[in-house]
Amino acid sequence: MSDLDSIVGQAREQFAAIGDAAQLEEAKARFLGKSGQVTELLKGLAKLPVEERKARGEAINRVKNAIEAALADRREALADARMQQKLAAEALDVTLPGRSAQRGGLHPVMRTQRRVEQIFRSIGFDIAEGPEIETDWFNFTALNSPENHPARSMQDTFYVDARDSAGKQLLLRTHTSPMQVRYASLHAAKHRGHETMAPIKVIAPGRTYRVDSDATHSPMFHQVEGLWIDEDISFADLKGVFLNFMRAFFEDDNIVARFRPSYFPFTEPSAEIDIAFSSGPMKGRWLEVSGSGQVHPNVVRNFGLDPERHIGFAFGSGLERLTMLRYGIGDLRLFYEGDLRFLRQFN
Amino acid sequence: MKFSERWLRAFVNPQENAEQLAHALTMAGLEVEEMHAAAPPFSGIVVGEIRAFERHPNADRLNVCQVDAGQPQLLNIVCGAPNVAIGMKVPCAMIGACLPPSADGDGKPFEIKRAKMRGVESEGMLCSARELGLSDDHTGLLPLPPAATPGTDVRALLDLDDTVFTVKLTPNRADALSVLGIAREVAALTGASLCEPDCTPVAASVPDRLPVTVHAADLCGRFSGRLVKGVNARAATPQWMKDRLERAGQRPISALVDISNYIMLELGRPSHIFDADKIAGGHLHVRWGSAGEEVKLLNGQTVAVDDSVGVIADAHGVEALAGIMGGDATAVTLDTTSIFIEAAFWWPASIQGRARRFNFTTEAGHRFERGVDFATTVAHIERITALVLDICGGQAGPIDDQTLALPARDPVRMRVERCRKVIGIPLDKAAMQAALERLRLPVRDLGDRLEVTPPPFRFDLEIEEDLIEEVARMVGFDNIPALPPKARAAMLVTPETRRSLFDLRDILAGRDYQEVVNYSFVDAQWERDLAGNAAPVALLNPIASQMGVMRTSLFGGLVANLAYNLNRKQPRVRVFEVGRVFRSDARVADGPLTVAGIDQPVMIGAIAFGPAHEEEWDVKARAVDFFDLKGDLEALADGAHALRFEAAAHPALHPGRSARVLADDTPIGWLGELHPKWVAGFDLPAAPVLFEVDTAALAQAPLPAFVEPSKFPPVMRDIALVVDAGTPAGQVLATLKSTADARVSSIVLFDQYRPTKPGGDLGETEKSLAFRVVMQDTQRTLTDAEAESMKQDLVDAVVKSHRARLRA
Repeated sequence: MSDLDSIVGQAREQFAAIGDAAQLEEAKARFLGKSGQVTELLKGLAKLPVEERKARGEAINRVKNAIEAALADRREALADARMQQKLAAEALDVTLPGRSAQRGGLHPVMRTQRRVEQIFRSIGFDIAEGPEIETDWFNFTALNSPENHPARSMQDTFYVDARDSAGKQLLLRTHTSPMQVRYASLHAAKHRGHETMAPIKVIAPGRTYRVDSDATHSPMFHQVEGLWIDEDISFADLKGVFLNFMRAFFEDDNIVARFRPSYFPFTEPSAEIDIAFSSGPMKGRWLEVSGSGQVHPNVVRNFGLDPERHIGFAFGSGLERLTMLRYGIGDLRLFYEGDLRFLRQFN
Repeated sequence: MKFSERWLRAFVNPQENAEQLAHALTMAGLEVEEMHAAAPPFSGIVVGEIRAFERHPNADRLNVCQVDAGQPQLLNIVCGAPNVAIGMKVPCAMIGACLPPSADGDGKPFEIKRAKMRGVESEGMLCSARELGLSDDHTGLLPLPPAATPGTDVRALLDLDDTVFTVKLTPNRADALSVLGIAREVAALTGASLCEPDCTPVAASVPDRLPVTVHAADLCGRFSGRLVKGVNARAATPQWMKDRLERAGQRPISALVDISNYIMLELGRPSHIFDADKIAGGHLHVRWGSAGEEVKLLNGQTVAVDDSVGVIADAHGVEALAGIMGGDATAVTLDTTSIFIEAAFWWPASIQGRARRFNFTTEAGHRFERGVDFATTVAHIERITALVLDICGGQAGPIDDQTLALPARDPVRMRVERCRKVIGIPLDKAAMQAALERLRLPVRDLGDRLEVTPPPFRFDLEIEEDLIEEVARMVGFDNIPALPPKARAAMLVTPETRRSLFDLRDILAGRDYQEVVNYSFVDAQWERDLAGNAAPVALLNPIASQMGVMRTSLFGGLVANLAYNLNRKQPRVRVFEVGRVFRSDARVADGPLTVAGIDQPVMIGAIAFGPAHEEEWDVKARAVDFFDLKGDLEALADGAHALRFEAAAHPALHPGRSARVLADDTPIGWLGELHPKWVAGFDLPAAPVLFEVDTAALAQAPLPAFVEPSKFPPVMRDIALVVDAGTPAGQVLATLKSTADARVSSIVLFDQYRPTKPGGDLGETEKSLAFRVVMQDTQRTLTDAEAESMKQDLVDAVVKSHRARLRA
């Protein structure tokens, strides 16, 4: 049987030496073609005695199958090699830069505003925005700050050369607090005549203006007003909500807040809120971040509600201040210069 | 409010040190803004008496002094001061003394060593006020009181170990605008006892009176006054009073003025001292002013009054602005010998805002408009009289006191339960009562409520919340827990079809624009040039003229952003802004979110300049153009609106390259290239492209409505048309779209061609537009014949409407 084994060996050897499909077909003919070695062997079967013929036939067939298998293997190997060659030729320099990858981004103060909105949305606060040229009523009087009251001089107001329906000079809102009255009155009007009123939970971010301009004051800046009115919202609740807001905003559970008695015409008790970080460059310093308090009963009345039934808190925070603390920005003026080298850092 | 710790401790002297006091005050709402030592640290400075001096042998400007500094031997000290005099007592720095660091030095104390000055041994140094850091005075040696004993430590002599507090007071706390008021608060906070001021009556020694008629009880509720004859106005103000005034930020002027100021700071009582001999007719009238009257004030300013301003007048006319400032004509001078001391209660409402109208503020006005104790006018005049007699001598007349109308002090009731509800903690009644009583408020227990009758020095206790606040302050805000509320878990519904301003911002940021925030007030010229607006809403009190008017367009700010960044070598600038603009518009009425007469839409605008793309390794550079921004704008509106653009002129834009932007036929903004005039005006190297549109038009997107995709294959047909070059492609497209039936699923312009030279199949004034039309039926496969017929309908329509022809 060694002649048969050697034929398979020869075939494998010859196939392996071939690197080209056409030559492989020629080599195939030498073994399996009309006068190929295996064909010759099959022809020789007839000369064998009948009792040997069957075993010999089976052995030759095994040889034939083995050669065909070797042939198929070799064909596949050659095809693979061709493919590899083609793919290698098509290879890219994957380290070249991607195309048009640039993105712009949001202004850092807007980034802060969005975060604040997300945080308060997560506890069910609505978002509201309103006019920046305001009336005396919404900016002051409705907020319990009558004309000539000394509290008005706490804020230097820009006035414009136009008057409201009552004949009073229009002004640029000095805070976002007018939105307390606008939003709450709308809400109260919607629920008038109903047995109960859904709580008022809203934040109102936006631009505000004061006659002030230096390294720490800008004549235009952003505030966010917060208002939560229901039947039982207390000063302790204000402390809880605001502390958690700060911890969420700065992603720091070690922030401490301190509430200092203060005075705003539209809240009572009123508090200034300072926070302190437990680590980082500002560690241990008290940083003023907000004014707040329980909404004054006169203001609740101006919402169109009964202060006996509805109480709650309001706060107002400076978005620039929060942004500066969050990212370590030292100069307020950078926010309004429109310098791309500054703005791109927040993308 | 500025005052020295020593002064405060004369009224209340708790165990707490200055730091602790400051913290306690701050946490009670009287914010201590600043605390500083009355004098910088120095040591080894004693009283020295100059016994003799002679010219320095080697220096004309120096003297060699023999100084008695309490030592057995006189000290030999070289000194350059011009005011050296024999017998003078001056601060003497001994060898080893440490002077405060000099302002321009390295911050280290200056140590006095034995030294030779131009060959003469100096055993110390004689000091000016500036060298001790006491004031800026460096004109000569600081003269010390002649009675001072040589060798006495100067810090002790001048009472320098004191701390100056600056307290920022909120407008409601009129009662704390004095050392006494702060002392009351400190007593409440610390439990230390309060030492009331000494207002022992001064008996009249002469019968003289000055008649006063009060004509307006709504101006002046109480008027008290007294004559003092024979005063010496040239008497020196005592040093202790000067020290306290100076540490309170008040410059000593003359004894009579100083006494009046001193009592204002100490007791919160503004008073006025007239020169009685200058009061014309010897009779004062308290009344409202009348138009046409004027008064020259103490500050030299002459102001015109009217019937809303209270005055004190005599036969000559107005002599003082009531409760605000005295007049020049009746002011005391160093020659004054006869004075009239006035202490009155002016109604806050009659003083509020008046001084501001004249563009100044005064300490008196500041106090009266917030409210001054009306019960103590007489007591305080007694105290002033005692000081006057003590310092300036004289004989006092009797006090005249007339009361016309005083503030009612209605009892205020606080429900115990309401107090708990507002603060949010279960305080007991006894704790509430104790808190109020510590503030010297008279409290009555009415069972479920406490009643307080506000004392005459408190003007901020009128309603229940005022008392709740006082309880909360005394309990300490720190002692109220931070409790996040338990609330109903109501879901907050955001309409799916609403696109927020942040959604819009994200779209532009995703298209490579950087957001900016520009001021809402701009240069009036920008409004004229870039918005064609000659009458913008103007600020009455702008901080600068280039921020004088409210913008009606975002364009000015965006162009300025571009110029700013080009100046900083940024070759490619793409910025956007979201913000309100402000237009006078009589159609706008007052509403929940509107102000009558002013339209305040929120606009979104962008500007782009420079290469369309950042420099890239295989992209051919080209400048950003109109159609880039048009694409960005369309992407911004995508989902909300298919925008329409029509050629129109805008003052900021290139007349041939600007478009009015419409959504559903409503104009919502503008798109275009900056007008060459302004390109030059802003000194730009090339024209940027900009747009702005009203965000209201982009705020709503329809809810997606599902349509089954067709299972049948689409058929495509191209239509190449030739039209007049002036025919807008958008109009041709619009005609095609309005002609197409439901089976046409899309029509896209895929080519525009204008011949650059004559001779082709197009005329010189023609252009070709090529559209790809995709047709698809949802029920069956379209036949060729159907597709051709549909195509022909489209062609017929444009041939008819736009005089188009098919391109061969």
